[in-house]
Amino acid sequence: MSGDAGEGTVRGECRPRGVDKCANQYNHKVMEQIGYKNSGPDLDAIFLALADPTRRAILTRLAAGEASVKELAAPFKISQPAVSKHLKILGRAGLVERGVDKSRRPARLNPEPMAEAVQWLEAFKAFWSSSFDQLDELLLSMKDGEEGKTG
Amino acid sequence: MSQLPTYILERVFDAPRPLVWKAWTDPQLLSRWYGPNVETVIHKLDVTQGGLWLNEMKMGQSSGYHKTEFTEVLEPEKLVCLMSNADADWNVTANPMMPDWPKTLLTVVTFQEVGKNRTALRLEWTPHNASPAEIACFENAMENMGKGWGAGMEHLARVLAELADA
Repeated sequence: MSGDAGEGTVRGECRPRGVDKCANQYNHKVMEQIGYKNSGPDLDAIFLALADPTRRAILTRLAAGEASVKELAAPFKISQPAVSKHLKILGRAGLVERGVDKSRRPARLNPEPMAEAVQWLEAFKAFWSSSFDQLDELLLSMKDGEEGKTG
Repeated sequence: MSQLPTYILERVFDAPRPLVWKAWTDPQLLSRWYGPNVETVIHKLDVTQGGLWLNEMKMGQSSGYHKTEFTEVLEPEKLVCLMSNADADWNVTANPMMPDWPKTLLTVVTFQEVGKNRTALRLEWTPHNASPAEIACFENAMENMGKGWGAGMEHLARVLAELADA
């Protein structure tokens, strides 16, 4: 249910918004039309999928087990349609599959197109990289705080 | 046995070393950065030799648990610890999604001063008390990541993210 609503929202969002956000989707459709889709792992789609911190976090979460859109949305403080949109991009890259259970359609990590262990290490690396990004921000705010106090 | 595979991540932070050390060893601060976009609950953090860090990451209805034992604490330059996947009762266990991934990784965290007010953080992970299957899994992941996958991935991802934001 929420999955279908999500798809609708993606298209709805796409039209009025800036070209930047949609360009990749349109490019992808063009690529599909000229037969690019079945030529093995689509690196562009995978890089695009991994370019977003929320999607990397979703992958990290799914590495711990499958989850519904609702379950995924809860910790990320974003709407279910937004999660659906992210899952769609991850699905296009072949990184995530959706279950057949109609009511829940749980998302799970797809061991293809990357070898499973590589994917696991990627998730591990992404986990730490994202954490380091957060550490970066935290240190910045700590520094500001200290300078404010002493200076 | 030949040398164990070691996975290394490095990052330079624009902050003095004592501050970076503090962010690792103060539970309030650690919970703010450890774990991307998830709620991190630190049940225990005792940064002393033999002390434990019990960490829960809340992910919707389920949680991921990690149990870490510090084996060497050398303030402010080095932390050595055994990071393990755990169940809700803090028993070390394999992750069901990836049973051959090493249950415990020997982790060496080095804090190095580079220039004024900058700190290089280096993390090294090596399988600890691992089965041959666990070592092979870890090694296989690293080898294949080096070959084309992974290597430039992070950089590319960042470039793409910047393009998307532009």
